[in-house]
Amino acid sequence: MSSKTARATMHSAAWRISMWATLAFACGTMVVFVFLQSFVAGDIQRRSDAWLSGEIETLGDVAERTPKDTLYDAVVGEVAELAEREVPDRSASESDSDNSVFFLQSGSDGSLKLWVGAGNGDAHLKAIQAARIPPDRPTDVRVTGFAVPFRVACIHIADGSQIFLGLSERDELRVLWNLRLRFLLLWLLIVLLGFGIVFFTTRRMLSHVQKITEAASGIGHSDLDARVPTTRRNDEVSHLADTLNRMLDRIESSMHQLHTITDSLAHDLRSPLTAIRGKLEMSLSNVSDGEQAEPIVAAIDELDRLTDFLNKSLDVAEAKADALRLTRSVIDLDELLRVMIDLYEPSMSEKGLKVRLRSGGPVEIFADAALLHRMVANLLDNELKHLPPDCSLTIVLHADKETASLIFEDDGPGFDPEVLLHLFERRVKGKNSNGHGLGLAFIDAVARAHGGTVTASNRPSGGAQIAVALPVASEPRARALVQAVSSAN
Amino acid sequence: MRLLLVEDEIDIQSFLRRSLQEAGYEVEAAPDGKTAERLAAASTFDILIVDLGLPDQDGITLILKLRQLGVRAPVLILSARRSVDDRVRGLEQGGDDYLTKPFALAELLARLRNLLKRNHPSASDATRLRVQDLELDLLRREASRGGQVLQLTQQEFVLLEYLCRNAGRVVTRSMILDKVWGMRIQPDTNVVDVHIYRLRGKVDCPGQVPLIRTMRGVGYVLKDR
Repeated sequence: MSSKTARATMHSAAWRISMWATLAFACGTMVVFVFLQSFVAGDIQRRSDAWLSGEIETLGDVAERTPKDTLYDAVVGEVAELAEREVPDRSASESDSDNSVFFLQSGSDGSLKLWVGAGNGDAHLKAIQAARIPPDRPTDVRVTGFAVPFRVACIHIADGSQIFLGLSERDELRVLWNLRLRFLLLWLLIVLLGFGIVFFTTRRMLSHVQKITEAASGIGHSDLDARVPTTRRNDEVSHLADTLNRMLDRIESSMHQLHTITDSLAHDLRSPLTAIRGKLEMSLSNVSDGEQAEPIVAAIDELDRLTDFLNKSLDVAEAKADALRLTRSVIDLDELLRVMIDLYEPSMSEKGLKVRLRSGGPVEIFADAALLHRMVANLLDNELKHLPPDCSLTIVLHADKETASLIFEDDGPGFDPEVLLHLFERRVKGKNSNGHGLGLAFIDAVARAHGGTVTASNRPSGGAQIAVALPVASEPRARALVQAVSSAN
Repeated sequence: MRLLLVEDEIDIQSFLRRSLQEAGYEVEAAPDGKTAERLAAASTFDILIVDLGLPDQDGITLILKLRQLGVRAPVLILSARRSVDDRVRGLEQGGDDYLTKPFALAELLARLRNLLKRNHPSASDATRLRVQDLELDLLRREASRGGQVLQLTQQEFVLLEYLCRNAGRVVTRSMILDKVWGMRIQPDTNVVDVHIYRLRGKVDCPGQVPLIRTMRGVGYVLKDR
């Protein structure tokens, strides 16, 4: 895994969720273990204490009843050795039991009277005397030369001597140590396994969410037939996908309804307009008198303006509802502007206007050619109609990775400040405009349909500025889309 | 010229029929797709006008059916719809040209003549075009009138070439925009007129017979006689 994907993984929600879940799980199991371990340790201690207490009582009993003759040592020593064999928790491999248990009898003067165990017992006696063991409770005693402490029980007998029975805690500690080691290994395994399971499950689930996000963001203004991917599982994520898809169904159906309405409206208005225009034209061909022809020509002109108004209104209405239908292809804005300027330049210079293009070279965008043509024509018509003579228009085209900017700057009187705020609304026009006030609304509509924006302002140095920003489709994506469109047809 | 007009709106059908007859076409009209299929199967036509919004079937479906029946004649599509898709689809599915309603009659006639000429190519492959004393050398991109070379810009040459290829026929402003500049726009301003005006200034010098004539409210024509 490269460092980049590793970083991406560590920033993912799946990583965070599994980290926290694992932490909680690890802490929880650790607490449970600590509790369990202290319980087991206590239990083992209790068992060895019970054994010690039992044995010391027996030994005390035997020591008291046995006459203090030569046989005393042999009898008590024998009993002590028998007791040793019954040591609890002794591991099978530990055949050498000499170190684990000792029996000691000290006289009333503190001297060593009897010793059963490894070595001579002096060190043990010294340690026991230093520890001052209470008679009825076994106590830990550290003996020099032994790494592990002894558990020692004590009993006083009638002749003033004391009997001590010591049991090394070695076996007890080994049991506990084994327990700890095994638990730790098991704990580590379970925690890692848990982390893995949580991480991969959440990642799988969240990757589906990611897919939904990608698909949803890919569903643009005009291509509403795409749907987000669904799963067969009946969980929250699949509910999310289903809900999104149902929402898209509803949006698509209302969009379809809007299209049906605008289409039928266009159709119902255009048919009579066609008939009227045809009849006017026919009557025009029947009159030879110029004076009679004049009103008919004027009527035809009005009719054409009405048609244009109808078309633009419907386009603007659809665009306001984000429902403008686009037929996209790869377009070079630089070339488009050059052709347009070539078309408009004579009219401009006829009016005494200068037009200039500042462009850094080809700028390809993925857009609807017909709509873009109309948008630029609208902008140029606008300048041509409203700029007073001897002004100049500069068109600046530049692009970065994401946006292509198309800026129309002139040194004319600029926008009327009252109009400027509502420039892109329908039916807003300047005092001297004879248009129907749809031009800029249409420009805004086209830009919006392409995911772009239009801003209008008065330049500080005087004159108006209209800036159109359109997203640049990255080349591979644009090509892929073009291929998809052409293969769909 | 036999023309089949497929249009369901009676008003439009009647004025189109009359205007087309006046323009010299022999017109058969069909109010729906079924009738159109029957008429097309019964006799041959030189050109067809098909409205996309027919009562019994989609105009594009009808064109596809007619093409399957072996109708080779060019088809001009009429549509009252707005969708650009329709145009693209129509032209891809066997339509040859497309006109949105409402349209200028002259525009319709001009486009019809254009389609008929396209169907019977004459001297369009020639390297030289001649209209009266105007001569265009298509290889050297040079125009001359009465032996005098005209100083034309690249764009003016393309415009003049288009007019020459359609000499004697009216071309409308939107046809010029479509064919010379490659865009279907309807400018609110007189951009095309200024181009023609400039071209005329170079082609029709004082003292010469004017070749480029304005047809008021319709378009322009380059006189061929």
